[in-house]
Amino acid sequence: MEYAVITVPSDPKYLSVIRSVTAAMAEIYGMADRVKEDVKLAVDEACSNVIKYAYRGDAGQKIVVKFFIKKAFEVVIEDSGIKAMPEFIEGRSLDDVRPGGLGVHFIRRTFDVFAFDQRKKKGNRLRLIRHRREKDEDRDRGQ
Amino acid sequence: MKIEIVDSKGIKVIALSGDVDMHSSPELRKELMFMVRNKVTPLFVDFRGVSYIDSSGIATFVEGLKGMMAYGGKLKFVGIPERIMEIFSFAKLDKVFEIYGTMNDAANS
Repeated sequence: MEYAVITVPSDPKYLSVIRSVTAAMAEIYGMADRVKEDVKLAVDEACSNVIKYAYRGDAGQKIVVKFFIKKAFEVVIEDSGIKAMPEFIEGRSLDDVRPGGLGVHFIRRTFDVFAFDQRKKKGNRLRLIRHRREKDEDRDRGQ
Repeated sequence: MKIEIVDSKGIKVIALSGDVDMHSSPELRKELMFMVRNKVTPLFVDFRGVSYIDSSGIATFVEGLKGMMAYGGKLKFVGIPERIMEIFSFAKLDKVFEIYGTMNDAANS
């Protein structure tokens, strides 16, 4: 198993760092460029949600992002902020055009598993898993 | 992200480049809502240099569009890269925003 772990402050300016590492890990996994972009966006959205909802915009906290390359591509995002209530996490209808509510759609369309680990006592541990699909293959490299 | 406000043949253009994300979208929102408060129309947004957009960037444009609709303003997007177009299409916003390939197409519409 290959893995990487990064810890960044909960400041939006570090989202670009998270995106860069996500893209690099997706590259190692061998994802096609289009899929890599989807994964990068989904992880960015999940971490943006940590800043917005778990930390209520407090830039002085920590976000830990762990990447595991197994058969599937797995990302675990941990914070020590306000507990998420998964039952209330729902994107807006895509037909209801208004600001906000799209991030969850970007995450769900990309990852097969979107689950909070309820065993974590303080804060949140979000597990995102994408199983390998045919279109994930890096066609650009002829694999 | 870099924002340039350009006056092109009397039309205000917001020319963006780089990543539009939760970090940079407040600056974009500030510029866009300044235009809305001043009832600018038409307003073009040049996307040719945009490499990335997330939901906060999209939300900023939806808010801007709604503000402009209140005074009959026209918000026109130009040169959206394929990847970003795919995101707009997924969010069904390709039918909501006026999208053109070139500045000339937008100006002549």
